[in-house]
Amino acid sequence: MTARGEPAGRGRAGRRERTSARPAAILKCAALLLLLAALPGCGRSPAPSGSSGAAGAAPTGPVRFVFPLPIEPATLNFVSGTDQSSVLVQRLVGDLLVDHDPDLHVVPRLAASWDVSADGKVLTFHLRPGVRFHDGVPCTSDDVVFTYERIMDPASKAVGRVDPFLPIEKVEAPDPATVRVTYREPYAPALRGWEIPILPAHLYRGADFAAAKENRAPVGTGPFRFVSWEAGQRIVLDANPDYWGGRPRIDGIDLRFIPSSDTALQALLTGEVDYARLQPPEWEARRTDADFQKRYREVRFVPLFYYYIAWRGDGSNPFFGDPRVRRAMTLALDREGYVRSVYHGLGRLAGSPFQGLLAGSPEPPAGPDPASAARLLDEAGWRADPKTGKRARGGVPLRFTLLVYSGGEDHVQFSQVAQQNLKALGIEMRIERLDWQTLWARLKSGRFEAALSGFMPGADPDSLYGMLHSSQIEGGQNYAAWKDPDVDAWLDAARRTLDETQRTALYRRIEARVLERQPYSYLFAPVVLAAMSRKFDGALPSPQGILGHNPGALALFPATGSPASSTSPQGR
Amino acid sequence: MSGFLLRRLLACLPTLLGITLVAFVILNLLPSDPVLTWSEAGVPMSAESQARLRAALGAGRGPAERYSDWLLSVVRLDLGRSLRDARPVQEVIGEALPWTALLNLCAMAAIYGVGLPLGFLGARRPGSQGDRWSRRILLILFVVPPFAAALLMQRLFAVRLGLLPLQGTGLGEATGAARLGSLAEHLVLPVLCLALAAWAYTTRYARALFRTLFPAGSVAAARARGLSGLRLARHFAPMAALPFVSILGAVVPALVAGSVVIEEAFSWPGLGRLLVHAVEGRDYPVVLALVLLSACAVLAGQLLVDLAYPALDPRLREQVAPDGSHGG
Repeated sequence: MTARGEPAGRGRAGRRERTSARPAAILKCAALLLLLAALPGCGRSPAPSGSSGAAGAAPTGPVRFVFPLPIEPATLNFVSGTDQSSVLVQRLVGDLLVDHDPDLHVVPRLAASWDVSADGKVLTFHLRPGVRFHDGVPCTSDDVVFTYERIMDPASKAVGRVDPFLPIEKVEAPDPATVRVTYREPYAPALRGWEIPILPAHLYRGADFAAAKENRAPVGTGPFRFVSWEAGQRIVLDANPDYWGGRPRIDGIDLRFIPSSDTALQALLTGEVDYARLQPPEWEARRTDADFQKRYREVRFVPLFYYYIAWRGDGSNPFFGDPRVRRAMTLALDREGYVRSVYHGLGRLAGSPFQGLLAGSPEPPAGPDPASAARLLDEAGWRADPKTGKRARGGVPLRFTLLVYSGGEDHVQFSQVAQQNLKALGIEMRIERLDWQTLWARLKSGRFEAALSGFMPGADPDSLYGMLHSSQIEGGQNYAAWKDPDVDAWLDAARRTLDETQRTALYRRIEARVLERQPYSYLFAPVVLAAMSRKFDGALPSPQGILGHNPGALALFPATGSPASSTSPQGR
Repeated sequence: MSGFLLRRLLACLPTLLGITLVAFVILNLLPSDPVLTWSEAGVPMSAESQARLRAALGAGRGPAERYSDWLLSVVRLDLGRSLRDARPVQEVIGEALPWTALLNLCAMAAIYGVGLPLGFLGARRPGSQGDRWSRRILLILFVVPPFAAALLMQRLFAVRLGLLPLQGTGLGEATGAARLGSLAEHLVLPVLCLALAAWAYTTRYARALFRTLFPAGSVAAARARGLSGLRLARHFAPMAALPFVSILGAVVPALVAGSVVIEEAFSWPGLGRLLVHAVEGRDYPVVLALVLLSACAVLAGQLLVDLAYPALDPRLREQVAPDGSHGG
């Protein structure tokens, strides 16, 4: 008892005997913690090499390709689900009527062939014979018409799928194997609009479309059958042995929802997933890691995505109505330096909105040209004050705010680079960080001076219509409020022109005008780097990843000689 | 006592109403667009198809009308449907709630299981080697931000050592009884991450409380009066329970904040992730329901504390009883 009132650190002997009861409690506590820590240790002995988790534990189990998804799909309804995760599941469980290959050319899928009438207004699809949904019911033209009708029903909220169908006059099914689509006028991007998965009409007809049970457990005609959706965790698909294109060579796909990209990369290292994206520095760090290179192969592709800055040019600010000022801005930005330093060179400068969509788009200038930028600004009347170096015209300083998306590292970093670039020219640019929805709402409302954003065009140059046509200023994507009657006419003409050469010529003219007037500064496109487990082989990288095309997942196969494939029943 | 309870429950109602009203106003002040909530990935859409969608939605009702509608349906125990996937909000939240509850209960157990004994030891021998070192270590743990702690522990325990699973719940991979073991393994790292920061202040708080509760010699005095073993424990346990109850006030908000980060890092399918997605996607029915739920949880926690105090401390019982009989 002596120790209690004594100063600390004394009475060691007394302490030992007196507290006999309490150390026991502590010991128990510690033992419990140890047990907690040790228990998993023994249960997971094969984990260090990390080869067990991905294959689904049991050695005789199916070899599923485990793919991380950052966002859980909202719904697996083929029509209502338009986010990237939903679209991925759709193309695995369902069949698109037509699809694109890794080079983004349109290829047949559920439609074995098609023909276009002489006047270019009627598109006729011939469906593949003998295709059945996973429940055994044949897939016919009725299903295609039903899917079209659901897309056009606003209650389906088929966001982003409606546009290519607006010029359609009617869709008919003259016989079970034929779909005839009549357009009001020739429509060049028509085919790409039909890259849609086909719904099973017999399951949805008469059901509540928004709440049907198939929205959580889809039935399609695709190469993979739906197995399970564990909310917040994963979606499991198994190979469809009766697929018309032959059973996929992998036994299934396991889509894991892993919101953090850091965690996804760690999961690749533990073998829990078979694929993960890497940031350029992470890739650099592992370039010389022999063990890493032995376990993973590099997958690299350039998505169609690029960053751009919209300069609001509708006169709501005194700066960006003048094309000289906009051109000066583009010349001042050090895009090349950013790609070199932040991306470690793993990015591409975007010299034109049609980058990747039109062969032979002009290359962007190699570096910034502040001297020319300064000259243009002087011409436009924005002269630098000899003392402060700050530019102004008639007492109005050249000072504006750039909106950026706060959640994107690239967005924020580049805006800071731009701020420095412009400061050197005597321009004061403030940065306002916003969340995605707020940024979007501001862009739509037009209440901004300049905004940095990203754009993912489709495979057809017509996807620039929204950004460049003056009809899309109100409610559309023409955030710069750019109005050029010539470009409007050319964009409309290109839509109606079926001849590829003439059509390309029109887009070339549009491109030249855009580059001359610079309503937007086109910045750069990051190259996507990913690592894929060597347990699998055959991946075909394309601008839309390794799964977002035809054949996509059908091209994958378990690598021979790897532990995973030796235990698997090899697919046909 | 029942009168006291009733009065307290009734007093919660205006608070709840106020919280939902504030949440509703804030949500409505955020710039957004109902059409955009359905295209979270930023799917390009032409002006024409947006106009079409808007026309189908109708002119749109005013905020006051929407709030009163929402309130009426909540009274009927209907929280509406998620804008994202059209499922009932109850179902969406019901899927995530057990995961968050499990994670946080385990975290709570870990926090108290370590914090209280350490605090007790520190109070017994303030300034001792153990006391000083535990303070230092806990301070370091306290300043590590949760996301960094998560990343470091994932790299060390899951990737490098391969001792513990990295992420997920582990239920999908296992079958039968192994599911429970798998779940326990998968809980360890996220629970530790949640507990790390809380250990520092629970220990400090418990230490201070124990020092005032058990002034030097009080246990010895009790022993001297012949109390021993179980009876000694029964004498002191209620007093020891007090810090347990008081610290709840600090632990619960920290857990709520921490689990948003931790659930993201460990791909845990709980409410934190749901809330982030719902706010980003402006999924109003889900956000409002989550606000309502957490408000209820906090108020219920306070109520519990209020009820527990008199039960544990007879002095407070005296103050409540006449008041309660008066109210009843």
